Amino acid sequence: MERLKKILQGFETEYIEEYKSQWLKVKLKKSTDLIPVIEKLIEEGVKTCSTISPTDFIEENRIEVNYFLEDLTNKRNVWLKVDLPRELEECKIDSITSIMPSADWHELEAYSTFGVKFEGHPNLRYFLISADYYGKFPFRKDFDWETHEKNLIKNVNAISQEFFDEYRENETQIGHKESKTVLHWGPTHPASGPIRLKVYTNGEVIEKVEPDIGYVWRALEKLAEFKDFIGTIVAVERVCFMDNTNPMICYAQAVEEIAGKEITPFAKYMRVILGELGRSASHLVSLGGFFGTMGLHTLMMWCLDVREYYLDALEDYSGARIATASIEPGGVRYPMPDNWFKSLRKAIQKFETTREEIEEIFIKNPLMESRAKGNGVFTLNDVEKYYLAGPIARASGAKIDIRLDEPYAAYGDMDMDYVTCSNGDVRDRLLIIFKELEQSADLIKQAMAKIEEGIEKGEMNPKKDHLIRMPRRMPAGEAISRVEWARGEMLIHLVTMPKSTQPYRLKIKAPSFNHTMVLNKLLSQKTLSDIPLLYGSMHICQGDLDR
Amino acid sequence: MGIGEILFYILIFPGLLFLLFWTFFVFYFSRKTLAYIHKRVGPHYNGKWGSLQTVYDIFKLLTKENITPKSADPYLFNIMPILTPIVASLPVILIPWSPLIHSGHGILDTNYGVLGLVVLIGVEPFLLFLTGFGSHNKYSFLGGMRVLAQMISMEIPFFLSSLSPAILFGTMNLYEIMYSNSWLTTLILLPGAVIYLIAMLGILEQPPFNIPEAEQEIVYGFYTEYAGTNYTLLKFAEFTEILVVSASAVVLFFGGYRGFLLDSFWWLFLKIVLIAIIIIAIRATNPRLRLDQMLKFCWSVLTPAAVLNLVWVLFARLYILGGI
Repeated sequence: MERLKKILQGFETEYIEEYKSQWLKVKLKKSTDLIPVIEKLIEEGVKTCSTISPTDFIEENRIEVNYFLEDLTNKRNVWLKVDLPRELEECKIDSITSIMPSADWHELEAYSTFGVKFEGHPNLRYFLISADYYGKFPFRKDFDWETHEKNLIKNVNAISQEFFDEYRENETQIGHKESKTVLHWGPTHPASGPIRLKVYTNGEVIEKVEPDIGYVWRALEKLAEFKDFIGTIVAVERVCFMDNTNPMICYAQAVEEIAGKEITPFAKYMRVILGELGRSASHLVSLGGFFGTMGLHTLMMWCLDVREYYLDALEDYSGARIATASIEPGGVRYPMPDNWFKSLRKAIQKFETTREEIEEIFIKNPLMESRAKGNGVFTLNDVEKYYLAGPIARASGAKIDIRLDEPYAAYGDMDMDYVTCSNGDVRDRLLIIFKELEQSADLIKQAMAKIEEGIEKGEMNPKKDHLIRMPRRMPAGEAISRVEWARGEMLIHLVTMPKSTQPYRLKIKAPSFNHTMVLNKLLSQKTLSDIPLLYGSMHICQGDLDR
Repeated sequence: MGIGEILFYILIFPGLLFLLFWTFFVFYFSRKTLAYIHKRVGPHYNGKWGSLQTVYDIFKLLTKENITPKSADPYLFNIMPILTPIVASLPVILIPWSPLIHSGHGILDTNYGVLGLVVLIGVEPFLLFLTGFGSHNKYSFLGGMRVLAQMISMEIPFFLSSLSPAILFGTMNLYEIMYSNSWLTTLILLPGAVIYLIAMLGILEQPPFNIPEAEQEIVYGFYTEYAGTNYTLLKFAEFTEILVVSASAVVLFFGGYRGFLLDSFWWLFLKIVLIAIIIIAIRATNPRLRLDQMLKFCWSVLTPAAVLNLVWVLFARLYILGGI
C-alpha cells in the first residue's frame, strides 16, 4: 500500500487517501497523466481494471471518470479519478485497453452512455445501447428522456426497417466462400438466451466469434436516478433474477456507508443467510444448465427440484420466490418469521440427500469428462488479464473471493476458506459450482447457529433488530461496495448529492460483462459443438451482462 | 395372396395403423419414462394417466400451417417428408412379426432378408440429408452434413454386426435365423448384439450420438425449417425407424417373437419395449458427444470391434457349433 502511495505521489494529484482497508482513492489533476500512472501501477502488480464509471456533474461542468483498478493477488486496489470537460469535442481521454485488456468493453460502455471518447481504443464504437440512442449519450444528465419517449414508435420502426434492409442484403448476398460461413448463434437460438454471437466458421471449426449484446438493456443504472433510495432496490435486484439477494446487499451497503450507519449483528447474519440462499438458487440453475448445453436435461430437472426448497425458504421470509426485495438499506426488510429455520433446514436436507446421486451420476460422468476435461482452459494469467471473477477465477486456482478479501455482512465471523480447483478447464468450472453449493449450505448452517445462540443469550431480537432507522435525506457522498455475487465480484458505485432523496449516479459492475468479453479467445479454433458447452461453462446471465 | 390380405397388411398390420399406434405409444412411453427419471409427472391430464396427450399433440401438429420458407427449394422441401416415412416403413415387410401372419414368415419371405434390412435402413440418412439440403438453411445444411458423416461411419459397424448371425447360421433368411437361435447362440452373438445396439444409437440419432439434431449447437439440424404436417411426417419416419431397427435387433439376436410357453407378437413387442427403455435410460443420463469424438470412437473402436466379432463368430461356428 505504501509503495502504491509513493508511486502516486510522483504525479500531480489533488488528493491521495486511504479508503476502506484495501483501497487508495486518488484524484489526478491532469488527464494526460493517466497512461504513465497506469503503466507504473501495472509494474507494481495492479494489473486489472474492474470497471470504468463516469459521473456527470452538470452544474460544475465536468465529467469525472472513475477507474477501479485491482491487484488480485495482493488485494491492493486503486480508485483513480480524472476530471474531463463536458463538451463533446473535448471530452476525451487516452484508452488503457492496450495495456489493460480488461478495460476494453468498459470503455465502450462509458463511450456509448456518456460520450467519453477513449483515444487509441482499437475499435471504438457504439455498444450495448439500442440503436436509437446512438450519439445521444443517454446517461448524461441533460439527455431529454421525455422527447425521446415521444419518438418511441418512430425509433422502433426505424430500427426494424434497418433490420429488414440488412436481412434483405444478407439474403441476396447469401453464398459461401469455400467452406466458410457466418452463423448467428442467438438471440432466438435454443441455448443462447438474449445475446447474439456472430460465429465465423470454416466447416465445423470456429475462426472468430463476435458477441453482440444489448438485447435486454434496460438502463437500470439510469432508472435508479428516477427512484428514491428504497425504490432503487427494485431496479437493482432485477440485474439478474437467478441470484436475487446479493445485488441488494451490495446496494444497501453503499447507501449505509454514505449515511454513516452500522446495521445490527442480527441483520448481518440474516444477510449472510439470504445471500447464500440466493447463491445456492443461482448455482443450482448453473449446474443444471451446464448439462443442458450437452443435451442432457435430467440434472436440470433434479436441480430445479432442489431449488424449489430454497425458493420456499425465500418465500417464507419475503412472500416472493424470485424477486424478493428482501434487503433494504438499514438491514433486512422483515422480522424473522417464527418457524423460518425449519424451512431452511428442510432445504439444506433436501440438497444433502440429492447431493450424492448428483455426484455419482453426473459429476463423475465419463462422457462429460471426455468432453470437458482440458477444454477451454484459463490460466491465472488470463484471470488477471481479463478479470475473470468468482467461480471462473477460482476454477483456475485464483484465490479471489470478496467474502474473504473484504468481508462484508457477517462473513468476517464465519469459518470459511477459498474454494478452488486447479486446472481451470470446463470440468473444473462445473466442479467449483458444486463445491460452492456445499460451502453455501455450510455457511447457512453456521449463520443459523449464531442467530440461535444470539437469541438464547438475549443479544438479538428477531422481531425488532432487523432494521435500523435510515435518514430520509442522504448527505452528499460517494461510496463503492463490493459483494461476492453468484457469478463473481459485483461492484456498485453510488454518488449522492446533498440532502438528496434519489441516487445521483449508480454504477453496477457485474461479472458477466468480462466473461462475455473473453468468448472470442475462448472459442477460436474450437468446433461448433463446443459453443454451447464453453458458453455454458462461463455461467453468463444476460441480465447482468446488459443491465 | 389375395387383395384383401394385401390391403390388411398395408393399412392395418404391420402397416399404417400399427405404425401410427406405435408412434403414439412410443412417444407417450418415452415421455412418461423420461419424466419418471427426471422426477417429473409427465403427461397427466388427457386420458387415463395422460395417455391421450400425444394423440392430441400429433393432431395439433397436423392442424398447423405448413410453412415453406422463401429460400427453400419448394419441391425438394415438400417431397422429402412424404418420401422419408415411406422408405422408413419399407423394411416392415421383411420382418417376421407374428406366427399368425404368413405362417410365421415375414410378409416378403426372401432368402436375402438381412441384406434387405440393412440396405433399406441404410438409405434413410441420405433422405434426411436431402431434407436439410432442400431447406437451404445454414443450420439445416450443417445438420444434413452431420447426418452423412455420422451415417457413413456408423453404418459399417452396423452392417458388420448384423452380418454376424447370418454368418453363424449360414443363411440370410430372417425366419430361419430366428428359429436357429438358441441360448448358446445368443451368448455367442452377444458381442455382436452389443455392437449392434451401440451402432443403432448412432443410426437412430439417439443420445449420446444425437449430434445431427443437436438443438444447442445447430438449432434442430435438418428439422429446423419444418413445421406442421411435414414435421409430423418426419417424426413419424423417425419413430418408424426406431421400431424397425429395434425389431431387427430382436429378430437377429434375441429370437424375435419366440418366447416361453407361446410364440406371439407380444413377445416381440416386449423385447422392443425393453430396448426402448435402454435407449431412454441412456438418453436420460448421458450428455452428447462431439462430432470428432464420435468419428474417432466409431473408426478406432467400434469398427475394429465389429471386424473382430466376425472373426469370433466364424471361430464359434467352426469349433463350438462344429462344422460348416
